[in-house]
Amino acid sequence: MKLPAHKRMLSAAAAASVLLLTAACGGGDSDGGSAAPTSSDSASADGGVSSESGSYEDGDYSGEGSYDNPGGNSSVSVELTLAGGEISDLTVTPEATNGTSKQYQTQFAGGITDQVVGKSIDDLDVSKIAGSSLTSQGFNQAIDDIKAEAQA
Amino acid sequence: MSAWQFEAIGTSWQIDTARPLAPGIAVAVTDRIDEFDAVWSRFRPDSVVSQIADRGGAWLLGEESRALLDLYVELYDATDGALTPLVGRTLSDLGYDATYSLRSAEHPAAVPDWDTIDWSYPELVAHEPVLLDVGAAGKGCLVDLVAEVLSESGVMEFTIDASGDLLHCADAPLRVALEDPRDPTRAIGVAELGDGRALCASATNRRAWGDGLHHVLDGRTGLPTNDIIATWVVAESGLLADGLATAQFMAEPSRLMTLFDHEFARMHTDGHVEWSADFPGEVFA
Repeated sequence: MKLPAHKRMLSAAAAASVLLLTAACGGGDSDGGSAAPTSSDSASADGGVSSESGSYEDGDYSGEGSYDNPGGNSSVSVELTLAGGEISDLTVTPEATNGTSKQYQTQFAGGITDQVVGKSIDDLDVSKIAGSSLTSQGFNQAIDDIKAEAQA
Repeated sequence: MSAWQFEAIGTSWQIDTARPLAPGIAVAVTDRIDEFDAVWSRFRPDSVVSQIADRGGAWLLGEESRALLDLYVELYDATDGALTPLVGRTLSDLGYDATYSLRSAEHPAAVPDWDTIDWSYPELVAHEPVLLDVGAAGKGCLVDLVAEVLSESGVMEFTIDASGDLLHCADAPLRVALEDPRDPTRAIGVAELGDGRALCASATNRRAWGDGLHHVLDGRTGLPTNDIIATWVVAESGLLADGLATAQFMAEPSRLMTLFDHEFARMHTDGHVEWSADFPGEVFA
């Protein structure tokens, strides 16, 4: 599909903001464990990396950021190299749009139940019923016709 | 309380108001529904979508198309192409057609790519004949339009129930049973709708015809969805509630929650139910 131009720009902006956040936080995963922020206290998100160059050791960092926006990928991986406290190399790779379900599932914060224990609608104090029993009459008639035909 | 029941677009409607609607207002309501149907019904040979299906081309669409098709664009993005209005031909071939033949063609048409159309309000360009189906959000949109007719006529308190799409406008909240799709005498919970809130319920197992065929198609495969059997969505408009009730069959809730302001509950094939933290009402867990 063709997205309007402003949507593409939004995608780019969203990616950029994830990038900054990821960089400022030092990345969740260090590459091979060889380089990590010296202390978690310094990994605050209130400043850029370069202005707090003393907070991070030089080395390669990688991390993942996810974001939601129409038309964009749902997550990116970020790899960057710090040298002398400055970012010397940076790669942002959008992840595949499919296969993100598990990731989203873990972020879901609501209710979940294996088997819902229903109650009789007659016992409930309700004014309306929302469901599918009242489907299109034409549809129901057609189903009845087909059943009748099958039995004939 | 007055309850006006009527049939329109092949389904039952009920509009509850404090006093009976004046005849002129009732006519305005049914006229508005007919006007919508004349554009969007794929079951009417003279509708605009039927004409687009016949010959494609560029079409200028009315005011309501802006919210409706713009939402389709957003839902298409949010579901990675699963929810698309371009499923009309495939649905029809599967048997969900103007005559409800409910018999699937041996080789149903594939769902066309989005590139088949270009949409920028108010112009829709179909580069080839394509059968649009606004079943995912159209009825909710129409409920909003009916509400507009009512409020423009000075009716400020009402509940519109279009068989699954509800819009409630009144100070006193409306309690709505969430019908168990496996047993219509039972409810899996109760939603409480505040003033101006809409609820849409969608289920696939009852409007189904053989071999897992039902009316909610995944545009990427051209096949009916199969993990979720029922969804309920509460939102600020019928359009949004309806569209998201369909999208909840096809995408992860947390992604949809991030993108669209709504609350939901949904049931999987195996009977387990998920719902959003702030769902208004109760799920009987």
